[in-house]
Amino acid sequence: MKFLNNDYTHLTLRLLIGAIFVYSAVPHILNSMGLASSIYNYRLFPSPIIGLSAAFIPWITLLSGLALILGVKVRAASLIISASLVIFISLAVISMIRGLDIDCGCFIGIVRKANWLAVSEDLLLLLGSLYTFFFDRTRISLVLLIKKLVLHNKNYEGALL
Amino acid sequence: MLILQQTTKGHASESSGRQPTFSWRQVIKDCLYFVAIAILLGGLLNYSLLRNAFNGTLIPKIQQNQLVNLRSKAKQFYGISVIELVSAKQLYDEKSAIFVDARTAQEYEIGHISGAISVPDREFLMGEIDPGKILPNKDAVLITYCDGGECELALDVANGLSDRGYNNVFVLVEGYPGWEAAGYPVDK
Repeated sequence: MKFLNNDYTHLTLRLLIGAIFVYSAVPHILNSMGLASSIYNYRLFPSPIIGLSAAFIPWITLLSGLALILGVKVRAASLIISASLVIFISLAVISMIRGLDIDCGCFIGIVRKANWLAVSEDLLLLLGSLYTFFFDRTRISLVLLIKKLVLHNKNYEGALL
Repeated sequence: MLILQQTTKGHASESSGRQPTFSWRQVIKDCLYFVAIAILLGGLLNYSLLRNAFNGTLIPKIQQNQLVNLRSKAKQFYGISVIELVSAKQLYDEKSAIFVDARTAQEYEIGHISGAISVPDREFLMGEIDPGKILPNKDAVLITYCDGGECELALDVANGLSDRGYNNVFVLVEGYPGWEAAGYPVDK
């Protein structure tokens, strides 16, 4: 339990998961048609769902990833990322059951098939995001650091006056 | 002051070994903020995509893009010739081509181009299938296909067959879905 209650474990996982999601989201935002194409390949969704997913999911994942990196609204970001991962894992498993040999569409420009390897990696990420949700120990973050510096400066100025 | 209080609370909970409590309501509220910002930004920047999605032109556009990409990939990376759907049907009618299904045996069982033979990509590349036994004539016209879209199994199999000395290998990039959608003969 000591390992789980460690600030640096939390920080490492937050930065890692945040970076992965930002890295995944940016190309999707720049090429939403590419993401729409990947979603279409699952052959599960009608046109409006494909369009809505391609338009909004990258932004939601980008915001969540940035929030994890910056240490802002960590629980909400972790919850959104966990929910996204559950959806990705389910889609990959359904595709495998249906015998589809498709790219998971997780990263544009990187071939990553929707197979057991992708599911295992996503499960690990899900464990990580659940950890950052349930063991939220955001004491080391850029935002808190800035806030502390501002507060410190104010106190310092106050003491001078 | 607020930050100092939060920090103090956090340390107190750490020493007691318990996590700071949180409000689900607040977490859900924060999630909704994320979603609202994403809808605003995504909606503004993807207006045309959303319009296409709702007026039914998105999927044809995606299919068109995928065919263009697959055609260029076939030529650039594999050096394999692509055959048009209509030309493939003509060869089918003349019984002058052998159709090779590169998908899994499971997908082949569900449905395939009428008369096609199954050469699953994975088994073929692993050397578990000897093409010489099922395709003895190296000059026969072979048309490989898979699932259309971004499926590259047909390209892999076509490439493998070319490497093994087959001289007339083509890829039908529209794949089984394109063939079936055109109303051409299938076995189910």
